[in-house]
Amino acid sequence: MLERVLSLREGSIIVVTLLVAVYFALSASTFLTYASLKTLLPFFAPFAILGVGEVFVMILGEIDLSIGATYLLAPFIYYKLAEAGVPHVPCVILAVVCCMAVGLINGFFTAVVGISSFVTTLGMLFTLEGLTLILSHGVPVGMPGAELTSATVHVAHEINGARIVLTETVVHAPTFANVLGEGTYSELVWAVVIVVVGQIVLTFTRFGLHTVAVGSNKLAASEAGVRVRLVMVRSFVLCGAAGGFAGILEAVRAGSVQPDVAGANEILFKAISAAVIGGTLLTGGSGTVVGALIGALFLGILDDGLILKGVNANYQLFYLGLAIILAMTVNIYVQRVRRGSRVG
Amino acid sequence: MGPSSAPDDVLRVEHIAKRFGPVTALRDVNLHLRKGEVLGLLGDNGAGKSTLIKIICGFQKQDSGEMFLQGKPYAPKSVDDARAQGIETVYQDLALIDELSVYHNLFLRREKVHHPLPFLANREMKRDARTALDQIGINIPRIDVSVARLSGGQRQAIAVARTVYSDADIILLDEPLAAMGAKEGAQILDLVARLKAEGKVSIIMILHNYVHVLEACDRVSMIQDGVIALDKPTAETSVEELTEIVVNEYRRARLEEHGGAASAPPAGAGGAPADGA
Repeated sequence: MLERVLSLREGSIIVVTLLVAVYFALSASTFLTYASLKTLLPFFAPFAILGVGEVFVMILGEIDLSIGATYLLAPFIYYKLAEAGVPHVPCVILAVVCCMAVGLINGFFTAVVGISSFVTTLGMLFTLEGLTLILSHGVPVGMPGAELTSATVHVAHEINGARIVLTETVVHAPTFANVLGEGTYSELVWAVVIVVVGQIVLTFTRFGLHTVAVGSNKLAASEAGVRVRLVMVRSFVLCGAAGGFAGILEAVRAGSVQPDVAGANEILFKAISAAVIGGTLLTGGSGTVVGALIGALFLGILDDGLILKGVNANYQLFYLGLAIILAMTVNIYVQRVRRGSRVG
Repeated sequence: MGPSSAPDDVLRVEHIAKRFGPVTALRDVNLHLRKGEVLGLLGDNGAGKSTLIKIICGFQKQDSGEMFLQGKPYAPKSVDDARAQGIETVYQDLALIDELSVYHNLFLRREKVHHPLPFLANREMKRDARTALDQIGINIPRIDVSVARLSGGQRQAIAVARTVYSDADIILLDEPLAAMGAKEGAQILDLVARLKAEGKVSIIMILHNYVHVLEACDRVSMIQDGVIALDKPTAETSVEELTEIVVNEYRRARLEEHGGAASAPPAGAGGAPADGA
């Protein structure tokens, strides 16, 4: 059984994530509680979605640095459209389409013009972050359609045989918001669905096969007749869509969104980290979508666990950094075991 | 020029020229290929053999000149386009993807998929890959491992199998025996002989070894300096004649170099005699 798990590409990170989870479960009594799991989900689900997009680009040996900026911009596009009177669901679709157009531009400059994707998407990062500041005038906005309504209800209680009626306030979110991020498991469900679909596309379709082929050997792939440029462009488009959709989910969950440029860059780092920690190579040719989910979960558990252990806020990032390095060192060793166990 | 082109040529190449910046790869190449024929293409390194192959297979475009396929003008827009018109190529760098399995490499760009959901039909591809490799007669123990784990000869066999499997009319082989041991090389030449016996495909093969050319080819064309310097049926030529041409080419090249040196003698140039090749 252990050998089967280890023979998977994402096997070693599964083992490491389990180790980290067990450590926190044993050392922080509140880690394995419902309330804790509820707070863990928002930490990792969006990064899993972002990681999926990034995996498709990184398999090509490219990188999308603009994914955090896309993530930041999408809710503002959504807001502008909703302000203009467009219904909410079409707003979401249009905002994601705009982000796909961003990916199309990234892909065009990388695959057709031939600028390195690092430079293309770095330029796009600043452009989009600037555009977000322009659109928002640097002011946070509430997400239309995610407004909570509170209602006062009368609830009957039975106390010591006496029946009394108390008034209670119930907060209610619209179905639209519940589906798109506000509901407790909404982001998790979206993340799992997107990861499963992404992994199926990568492993079981020509789309995925050609993506791996281009990432492994561009020249050989083009000589075999694979349309290299098309393959590259569509991965960037996919990555843009992932960035935009995750951004909208998070904004709807929070109910409002701030034009936080520095925050967007942190999102970018975590998205790439999720992909890389999950087992996708920075050099291309090999990657796993499920790995991105586990990588994101790993980061989420680390974040959540350190808080629950009561680590001083000032030490939080310090420990997070050390923990990542330590865990990845273990990961490398587990990988060596895995290679050794492979039949071949 | 050798034998003139006949109406039953499946492929004719006329006055093809190709430059890469200051380098002229092909100056004026004329070539023809008859149905069922195996044509050996010879030439020094950098003579332009691979460039010619890449133009015919649609990977690169010539600067000038025309090609005709089955008598009709032929100007492939891409490798896919050339393939659709029946021209398949085995490249010198093999065009194999290390990360992919043997059977995925065999089927790259021609993958079989299920219906209605277009998932890869891996089981079917594995089975057909096994059949194709068995036909070639080269033993690949496992076809679900990545091609990175195979020997040079096995990789070449897969590249050739991919082409043979495709029902092409014309197959271009760019140094099919490079990276091969004698035994594996003999198997590839056997395969070419078998294809020739079937008479369905016509083959252009780049080779370096004159013995292989005389053994496996009907006709030989030699590129020198961007033009076809010799075009003869193999029955009418010999290793000696082919060697002679190459030796003469070397002599000429050395003379040119010597002439250039004489006009501007380098500091240390004493009396080092040019050794006869």
